[in-house]
Amino acid sequence: MDRAISVKNIAKRFGGTVALEKVSFASERGMNIILGPNGAGKSTFLRCVDGLYRVERGSVSVLGEDPYRNDQLKEKLSLLTDNYALYDYLTVADNLRFFGRLYGLGNAETMNRSREMLERLDAIEYIDRKVYGLSRGTKQKVAFCRAVLNEPQILLLDEPTAFLDAHSAEMVRKVLAGYEKEGKTILFVTQKLDEVTRFNGKISIMSHGRIVRETTIDGLYGVILRNTVVNFRLARPIKKSTAMRLPGFVEANAEAATLLKFRVGDYRDVSKTIGELLAEGGKIVSIDYMEHLIDDLSR
Amino acid sequence: MIFQDDIVNFGKAYAIATKDLAEVFTSIEIYGPMIGVPMFFAVMLPVLTFYVTQHSAGSVLSKLISTPASVAGISASAGLIFMTFFSISVLGPIFLTMPILTASVIAADSFAGEKERKTAEALLSTPITRSELLLGKIIASFVPTVILTVAVFAVYGYITNYLSYQIFQQVILPTPTWLMMLLSSPFLAIATIGIVVLVSSHVKGVKESQQISTLLVLPILVMPFAAILGIADLSVGFFGWLIAALAVADVLIIYLGVKSFRKEFML
Repeated sequence: MDRAISVKNIAKRFGGTVALEKVSFASERGMNIILGPNGAGKSTFLRCVDGLYRVERGSVSVLGEDPYRNDQLKEKLSLLTDNYALYDYLTVADNLRFFGRLYGLGNAETMNRSREMLERLDAIEYIDRKVYGLSRGTKQKVAFCRAVLNEPQILLLDEPTAFLDAHSAEMVRKVLAGYEKEGKTILFVTQKLDEVTRFNGKISIMSHGRIVRETTIDGLYGVILRNTVVNFRLARPIKKSTAMRLPGFVEANAEAATLLKFRVGDYRDVSKTIGELLAEGGKIVSIDYMEHLIDDLSR
Repeated sequence: MIFQDDIVNFGKAYAIATKDLAEVFTSIEIYGPMIGVPMFFAVMLPVLTFYVTQHSAGSVLSKLISTPASVAGISASAGLIFMTFFSISVLGPIFLTMPILTASVIAADSFAGEKERKTAEALLSTPITRSELLLGKIIASFVPTVILTVAVFAVYGYITNYLSYQIFQQVILPTPTWLMMLLSSPFLAIATIGIVVLVSSHVKGVKESQQISTLLVLPILVMPFAAILGIADLSVGFFGWLIAALAVADVLIIYLGVKSFRKEFML
């Protein structure tokens, strides 16, 4: 659903601390990402959209309803917070059964859905274990399983892959990709640039309680890779003297170079440099660059 | 229905209550002291009363009780009067602190514990109404409190009767006063839970919530001294008035607590 989330000019304070100020946002179908450093107000924003906090000014509309006042709306909505929010002294299964009951699901249905998701996330073996003994990564998998239990139309995620290993993080991303294909709305807050660049969606950059820029993956790379040094790793070396003739050359690791550094004006130059290296007989195995600080993006 | 705009699905309230109870009763570190300590006193205090009765009832009685204790038709021997007076007017109020202490432990853990352990976010993200949440948590605090209080009164009553029968060939309990005292315990539990709900917006954690709600034990602990000094006669009438006053206070406290409660207080 387009514009499933519509936020207009909201403000939220905690005592004297301004958490959000004049924030407006309209979601698009699929993935919506809010990127920002610690303390930017991302988690508070997510909680306002979920209806956990009452906003002091402005309005929040989710599927046309006020999430703060309409409890039943949460049947179509789900929030995964960054602190797992699981009951330590209950088993994984008891936690999931409890939340299933609050969503109006029977125990059998809850456990069928849970088993399927836990199997996908390689966490099924922990289903009868108490939560307090689990690792952070496993808790996050269980919390993710809980968040998708009600098969929500709108999924609100706060750093969902923060403590996951690479394989599990990829599994979570695949689940999210499936949600995107189904036309559901995902609002994902993170401070990791790397995570953002794995999705193609609307990107809002938040800083000091405000959304300071709205962009796309194209626009983001336009900033990240502006006048930046990019590393090219080669499987088959090329001569340093050959590389030096190419535009933007910075340095090579040896005369028969397997690591080359080029300065690019923007991300489009990366493709040009790849073409030139291939033309010189280079076999490229990876390209990387020094990641920007998120704070730089929000200035 | 607590609020006109709130729907109560009792299945959800029940799920919240059973979850809270499961949390409390899955760890012996939590329920062990909560059950063990009162049970210890339920055995030890009647035994101590019996010991004093056997060794110095006459002298203690003449010093403590200015007016002859009119104790429901029981033989007038000093020992029996002492044991009856002490078991009802001193031990009774002490055990009457049970519903306050137990309810404050469970209710504080139930409300402030969700805030402290940051589980409230997930709970409040589900489609539960304020009424379902409050009802579930009140049930989770009330039911075990009443069961535990009745159990403690039963144990202390049994021990008292067993010991009194050994000397006097008479059982002391239950008396109408003692039963009225027991009857007042659910009202004390509700008042305690109501106070926890009321203060839930102002406290940061379980300890603060417990400390505030356990202030209710103070007036209860005045009762034995008032009885000893002859200021108050802990009679059926006294407890009748106490129950009536508590019932009014409960309605008021719960009303104010429910009216002022906002789900985000738990965050």
